Amino acid sequence: MTFAFLLHQTICGALAAVGFGVLFNIGFRSLPWCAASGALALAVRTCCYSQYHWNLEASSFAAALIVGAAVQILRTRADISQNALDVVGCIPMVPGSFAAKAILGLFALTSIDTAHATETLVTAVQYTLRVMFTIGAIGTGLAIPSLLLRVRVSR
Amino acid sequence: MDVKDKLINDEVSSGPALEPMAMVALDAGRMLMEAGASANSIDAIVAKFARGLGADRVDLRIGYASLAITIGIGPNGITRMREVGHLGVNQRLDQELWRLSDRVAHGELTTAQTRAELTRLAAKTPRHSTWVMAVAVGLACAAFGRLLKVDWSGTGPVFVAAMIGQLVRRDLLGRHVNVFICATIVSFIASVLGGLGAFFAHSDSITTAMIASILLLVPGVPSVNAQSDILEGHPTLGSARAVTVAVILIFVAVGLWLGQVLLSHFGIQL
Repeated sequence: MTFAFLLHQTICGALAAVGFGVLFNIGFRSLPWCAASGALALAVRTCCYSQYHWNLEASSFAAALIVGAAVQILRTRADISQNALDVVGCIPMVPGSFAAKAILGLFALTSIDTAHATETLVTAVQYTLRVMFTIGAIGTGLAIPSLLLRVRVSR
Repeated sequence: MDVKDKLINDEVSSGPALEPMAMVALDAGRMLMEAGASANSIDAIVAKFARGLGADRVDLRIGYASLAITIGIGPNGITRMREVGHLGVNQRLDQELWRLSDRVAHGELTTAQTRAELTRLAAKTPRHSTWVMAVAVGLACAAFGRLLKVDWSGTGPVFVAAMIGQLVRRDLLGRHVNVFICATIVSFIASVLGGLGAFFAHSDSITTAMIASILLLVPGVPSVNAQSDILEGHPTLGSARAVTVAVILIFVAVGLWLGQVLLSHFGIQL
């Protein structure tokens, strides 16, 4: 993994988080915090995935855990709800493309002249499982810091 | 004193009215839920409002489409239910509700004043303009595209397609089109535009560009909320959210599939 690749992923994570921050009606003053949250998430995930060769689910879990913990520590400084900040940071890691590919794979199986049906089915199931496990990893990673620190609903 | 005298307390009429108190607390919870909060946040804010307005006991049941509250003062209590509308995401409203709950908890506001503040927040909480939101969504999807390894020539079309998709979504939701139908329509339009744009830009990643163009529709907040609700002891709400997320994804995939069929029909290799 090169530094340029890490920087690219980090910037893309920050941009995606800011874009979704606007969509979620987060104020302009708080958007830098969204950018930081998204950048941290993608930086950690990229390091784990590309440098240490963890799988995507484990990398996403580690990233969500660190973002969740960082938000807990910094929550009083950012003028934004804790729930929004950590979720927005992890949005770029939600595997939407896998979900689309999984469902399209299942659609493809319904075609009468499906070539390589077994391969298509296995691929669709693999994508489905990756979606489930990755979303599970993100949700668990975000929940653990807040449950451990018992700051569950405060801003 | 017989049983009847014990049940009907003379102090009922002289104490604070439970009805408006319950409805104000429920409305605060409803607004927070419609703003995309998790179950624990809703539970906490409703309790803050109700206790701040004078309730001794507060019990809340959070469903996907309704909230039910039982509040009590001394021996008196009432149970009320409130319907919850479409669950969106509005963080500024979320933030304002938390601020208001702090004021209510400190006893700064009466029930009537709190009701007036809630009405003001519902009407006056600012939103980003349509165009700012569309550009931001385009930017987010373009960034997603880069994360999914869309080449640079395909990134511009993703930006434009997602931007137009967001404008269409906003318009459809403004016309109260069903959210699932809206997801299919927007997915179809954005994927076709993204795919066509990537094709004419000579991109090597047309299929991925089509997928990146529809990522504005992926329900990220509900999917994370679903799990946190289950983890925090609200399995029914969490399950309902998860099912909704799954159905939205199916409708989004149908739109993408239709888009792919259309482009394939015109001879574009995907």
